[in-house]
Amino acid sequence: MKLARVVGTVVSTICSPIFEDRTLLLCDLVEPSGEAAGGYLIAVDTVGAGAGELVLILDEGTSARQIVGAAYGPLRAVIVGIVDAVEGPGAAAGQAKAKPTTKGEAAARGTKGEAAARGTKAAKATARRTTRTVKQG
Amino acid sequence: MQLARVIGTVVATVKSPSLDGVRLLIVQPLTRQLEPVGTVVVAADAVHMAGPGELVYIVGSREAAEALEDRFAPVDHAIVGIVDAVEPIRGGGR
Repeated sequence: MKLARVVGTVVSTICSPIFEDRTLLLCDLVEPSGEAAGGYLIAVDTVGAGAGELVLILDEGTSARQIVGAAYGPLRAVIVGIVDAVEGPGAAAGQAKAKPTTKGEAAARGTKGEAAARGTKAAKATARRTTRTVKQG
Repeated sequence: MQLARVIGTVVATVKSPSLDGVRLLIVQPLTRQLEPVGTVVVAADAVHMAGPGELVYIVGSREAAEALEDRFAPVDHAIVGIVDAVEPIRGGGR
Protein backbone atom coordinates (compact mmCIF):
# COMPACT_ATOMS: atom_id res chain seq x y z
CA MET A 1 0.00 0.00 0.00
CA LYS A 2 1.05 3.57 -0.55
CA LEU A 3 0.84 6.74 1.50
CA ALA A 4 -0.72 9.67 -0.32
CA ARG A 5 -2.26 13.08 0.21
CA VAL A 6 -5.63 13.91 -1.35
CA VAL A 7 -5.15 17.01 -3.53
CA GLY A 8 -8.05 17.05 -5.95
CA THR A 9 -10.93 15.36 -7.64
CA VAL A 10 -11.38 14.12 -11.19
CA VAL A 11 -14.79 14.67 -12.74
CA SER A 12 -15.65 12.24 -15.52
CA THR A 13 -19.01 11.59 -17.17
CA ILE A 14 -17.85 9.19 -19.84
CA CYS A 15 -16.02 6.37 -18.12
CA SER A 16 -15.85 2.62 -17.73
CA PRO A 17 -18.96 1.30 -15.91
CA ILE A 18 -16.94 0.37 -12.82
CA PHE A 19 -16.25 4.08 -12.16
CA GLU A 20 -19.86 5.20 -12.44
CA ASP A 21 -21.16 6.79 -9.23
CA ARG A 22 -17.74 6.55 -7.65
CA THR A 23 -15.51 9.35 -6.43
CA LEU A 24 -12.17 9.65 -8.18
CA LEU A 25 -9.59 11.45 -6.07
CA LEU A 26 -6.28 12.84 -7.23
CA CYS A 27 -3.63 11.85 -4.70
CA ASP A 28 0.02 12.92 -4.46
CA LEU A 29 2.24 10.10 -3.27
CA VAL A 30 4.14 11.07 -0.11
CA GLU A 31 7.01 9.79 2.02
CA PRO A 32 6.33 8.85 5.66
CA SER A 33 7.84 12.27 6.45
CA GLY A 34 4.98 13.93 4.58
CA GLU A 35 7.19 15.17 1.74
CA ALA A 36 6.14 14.53 -1.85
CA ALA A 37 7.55 11.23 -3.08
CA GLY A 38 7.08 12.24 -6.72
CA GLY A 39 4.20 10.96 -8.75
CA TYR A 40 0.50 10.79 -8.16
CA LEU A 41 -2.42 8.41 -8.59
CA ILE A 42 -6.07 8.71 -9.44
CA ALA A 43 -7.79 6.43 -6.94
CA VAL A 44 -11.37 5.42 -6.21
CA ASP A 45 -12.49 6.49 -2.76
CA THR A 46 -14.05 3.79 -0.57
CA VAL A 47 -13.77 5.42 2.86
CA GLY A 48 -14.98 8.99 2.41
CA ALA A 49 -11.58 10.68 2.34
CA GLY A 50 -11.55 14.46 2.13
CA ALA A 51 -9.38 17.40 1.17
CA GLY A 52 -5.78 17.32 2.29
CA GLU A 53 -6.13 14.06 4.14
CA LEU A 54 -3.32 11.54 4.37
CA VAL A 55 -4.63 8.26 3.00
CA LEU A 56 -3.64 4.68 2.31
CA ILE A 57 -3.88 3.61 -1.32
CA LEU A 58 -4.08 0.00 -2.40
CA ASP A 59 -2.62 -0.21 -5.92
CA GLU A 60 -3.43 -3.77 -6.96
CA GLY A 61 -6.28 -4.72 -9.24
CA THR A 62 -7.67 -7.97 -7.87
CA SER A 63 -7.81 -6.71 -4.30
CA ALA A 64 -9.24 -3.38 -5.44
CA ARG A 65 -12.09 -5.07 -7.30
CA GLN A 66 -12.78 -7.28 -4.30
CA ILE A 67 -13.10 -4.20 -2.10
CA VAL A 68 -15.69 -2.54 -4.33
CA GLY A 69 -17.46 -5.85 -4.91
CA ALA A 70 -16.85 -6.06 -8.65
CA ALA A 71 -15.86 -9.32 -10.33
CA TYR A 72 -14.10 -7.56 -13.16
CA GLY A 73 -13.35 -4.07 -14.45
CA PRO A 74 -10.32 -1.85 -15.03
CA LEU A 75 -10.03 -0.78 -11.40
CA ARG A 76 -6.62 -0.80 -9.78
CA ALA A 77 -6.11 1.96 -7.20
CA VAL A 78 -8.49 2.42 -4.26
CA ILE A 79 -8.26 4.50 -1.11
CA VAL A 80 -8.67 2.01 1.72
CA GLY A 81 -7.90 4.07 4.81
CA ILE A 82 -7.42 7.50 6.33
CA VAL A 83 -4.16 7.78 8.20
CA ASP A 84 -4.36 9.14 11.73
CA ALA A 85 -0.66 9.11 12.47
CA VAL A 86 2.62 7.83 11.10
CA GLU A 87 5.15 6.81 13.72
CA GLY A 88 8.76 5.74 13.34
CA PRO A 89 12.15 7.08 12.22
CA GLY A 90 10.93 8.59 8.94
CA ALA A 91 7.74 10.10 10.33
CA ALA A 92 7.21 13.85 10.32
CA ALA A 93 7.02 15.92 13.45
CA GLY A 94 4.26 17.83 11.66
CA GLN A 95 1.96 14.87 11.94
CA ALA A 96 2.26 14.77 15.70
CA LYS A 97 -0.70 17.11 15.91
CA ALA A 98 -2.77 14.55 14.04
CA LYS A 99 -1.90 11.96 16.68
CA PRO A 100 -4.50 11.26 19.36
CA THR A 101 -3.44 13.15 22.44
CA THR A 102 -6.05 12.16 24.94
CA LYS A 103 -7.75 8.91 25.78
CA GLY A 104 -11.03 10.35 24.52
CA GLU A 105 -9.61 11.19 21.13
CA ALA A 106 -7.89 7.86 20.86
CA ALA A 107 -11.17 6.11 21.60
CA ALA A 108 -12.94 8.28 19.06
CA ARG A 109 -10.38 7.34 16.44
CA GLY A 110 -10.77 3.69 17.32
CA THR A 111 -14.51 3.97 16.74
CA LYS A 112 -13.86 5.66 13.41
CA GLY A 113 -11.57 2.85 12.26
CA GLU A 114 -14.11 0.18 13.11
CA ALA A 115 -16.90 2.22 11.53
CA ALA A 116 -15.00 2.60 8.28
CA ALA A 117 -14.27 -1.12 8.26
CA ARG A 118 -17.95 -1.95 8.45
CA GLY A 119 -18.42 0.13 5.30
CA THR A 120 -22.10 0.98 5.78
CA LYS A 121 -23.40 4.43 4.96
CA ALA A 122 -24.27 5.14 8.55
CA ALA A 123 -20.86 4.01 9.64
CA LYS A 124 -19.24 6.31 7.10
CA ALA A 125 -21.29 9.22 8.41
CA THR A 126 -20.11 8.40 11.91
CA ALA A 127 -16.56 8.25 10.68
CA ARG A 128 -16.83 11.68 9.06
CA ARG A 129 -18.32 13.19 12.18
CA THR A 130 -15.59 11.68 14.30
CA THR A 131 -12.91 13.06 12.00
CA ARG A 132 -14.39 16.52 12.25
CA THR A 133 -14.53 16.31 16.03
CA VAL A 134 -10.91 15.31 16.22
CA LYS A 135 -9.87 18.07 13.84
CA GLN A 136 -11.63 20.71 15.90
CA GLY A 137 -10.05 19.31 19.03
CA MET B 1 -4.57 5.61 -12.97
CA GLN B 2 -2.91 8.61 -14.55
CA LEU B 3 -3.98 11.60 -16.56
CA ALA B 4 -3.03 11.60 -20.23
CA ARG B 5 -3.60 13.55 -23.42
CA VAL B 6 -4.59 11.82 -26.66
CA ILE B 7 -2.13 12.93 -29.33
CA GLY B 8 -2.75 10.51 -32.19
CA THR B 9 -4.11 7.25 -33.47
CA VAL B 10 -2.60 3.95 -34.56
CA VAL B 11 -4.00 1.87 -37.39
CA ALA B 12 -3.07 -1.82 -37.53
CA THR B 13 -4.63 -4.36 -39.90
CA VAL B 14 -2.76 -7.43 -38.82
CA LYS B 15 -3.17 -7.86 -35.09
CA SER B 16 -4.31 -10.22 -32.38
CA PRO B 17 -7.98 -11.22 -32.94
CA SER B 18 -8.76 -9.88 -29.46
CA LEU B 19 -7.90 -6.40 -30.71
CA ASP B 20 -10.42 -6.42 -33.57
CA GLY B 21 -12.69 -3.41 -33.22
CA VAL B 22 -10.49 -1.85 -30.55
CA ARG B 23 -9.32 1.70 -31.26
CA LEU B 24 -5.67 2.26 -30.50
CA LEU B 25 -4.69 5.79 -29.53
CA ILE B 26 -1.33 7.39 -28.85
CA VAL B 27 -1.37 9.08 -25.46
CA GLN B 28 1.09 11.26 -23.58
CA PRO B 29 0.95 10.68 -19.81
CA LEU B 30 0.71 13.91 -17.81
CA THR B 31 1.59 15.15 -14.35
CA ARG B 32 -1.30 16.39 -12.27
CA GLN B 33 -0.37 19.90 -13.39
CA LEU B 34 -1.08 18.58 -16.90
CA GLU B 35 2.55 18.74 -18.03
CA PRO B 36 3.90 15.89 -20.19
CA VAL B 37 5.82 13.24 -18.25
CA GLY B 38 7.37 9.96 -19.31
CA THR B 39 7.17 8.26 -22.66
CA VAL B 40 4.27 8.26 -25.07
CA VAL B 41 2.29 5.00 -25.04
CA VAL B 42 -0.30 3.31 -27.22
CA ALA B 43 -3.52 2.75 -25.27
CA ALA B 44 -6.70 0.89 -26.17
CA ASP B 45 -9.75 3.15 -26.10
CA ALA B 46 -12.17 1.40 -23.76
CA VAL B 47 -14.71 4.24 -23.75
CA HIS B 48 -14.97 4.36 -27.58
CA MET B 49 -15.29 8.13 -27.48
CA ALA B 50 -11.84 9.55 -26.89
CA GLY B 51 -10.39 11.67 -29.68
CA PRO B 52 -7.19 13.57 -30.40
CA GLY B 53 -6.52 16.44 -28.00
CA GLU B 54 -8.79 15.03 -25.32
CA LEU B 55 -7.80 14.80 -21.65
CA VAL B 56 -8.35 11.25 -20.44
CA TYR B 57 -7.30 8.93 -17.68
CA ILE B 58 -5.54 5.70 -18.39
CA VAL B 59 -4.99 2.52 -16.45
CA GLY B 60 -1.87 0.43 -16.89
CA SER B 61 -0.77 -3.18 -16.51
CA ARG B 62 -3.20 -6.10 -16.23
CA GLU B 63 -6.19 -3.89 -15.49
CA ALA B 64 -6.00 -2.36 -18.97
CA ALA B 65 -7.35 -5.58 -20.52
CA GLU B 66 -10.16 -5.63 -17.94
CA ALA B 67 -11.52 -2.51 -19.62
CA LEU B 68 -12.07 -4.27 -22.94
CA GLU B 69 -14.69 -6.75 -24.06
CA ASP B 70 -12.11 -9.51 -24.19
CA ARG B 71 -10.65 -9.46 -20.69
CA PHE B 72 -7.55 -11.24 -21.94
CA ALA B 73 -6.77 -8.93 -24.84
CA PRO B 74 -3.03 -8.22 -25.14
CA VAL B 75 -2.96 -4.58 -24.05
CA ASP B 76 -1.05 -2.88 -21.26
CA HIS B 77 -2.64 0.57 -21.28
CA ALA B 78 -6.28 1.50 -21.72
CA ILE B 79 -8.24 4.73 -21.70
CA VAL B 80 -10.96 4.18 -19.10
CA GLY B 81 -12.51 7.63 -18.87
CA ILE B 82 -12.68 11.10 -20.36
CA VAL B 83 -11.88 13.91 -17.94
CA ASP B 84 -14.45 16.71 -17.66
CA ALA B 85 -12.52 18.59 -15.00
CA VAL B 86 -9.63 18.22 -12.58
CA GLU B 87 -10.52 20.19 -9.49
CA PRO B 88 -7.93 20.99 -6.86
CA ILE B 89 -9.34 20.92 -3.36
CA ARG B 90 -7.99 23.33 -0.82
CA GLY B 91 -8.61 23.87 2.84
CA GLY B 92 -9.49 21.28 5.43
CA GLY B 93 -5.98 19.87 5.20
CA ARG B 94 -3.80 19.28 8.20
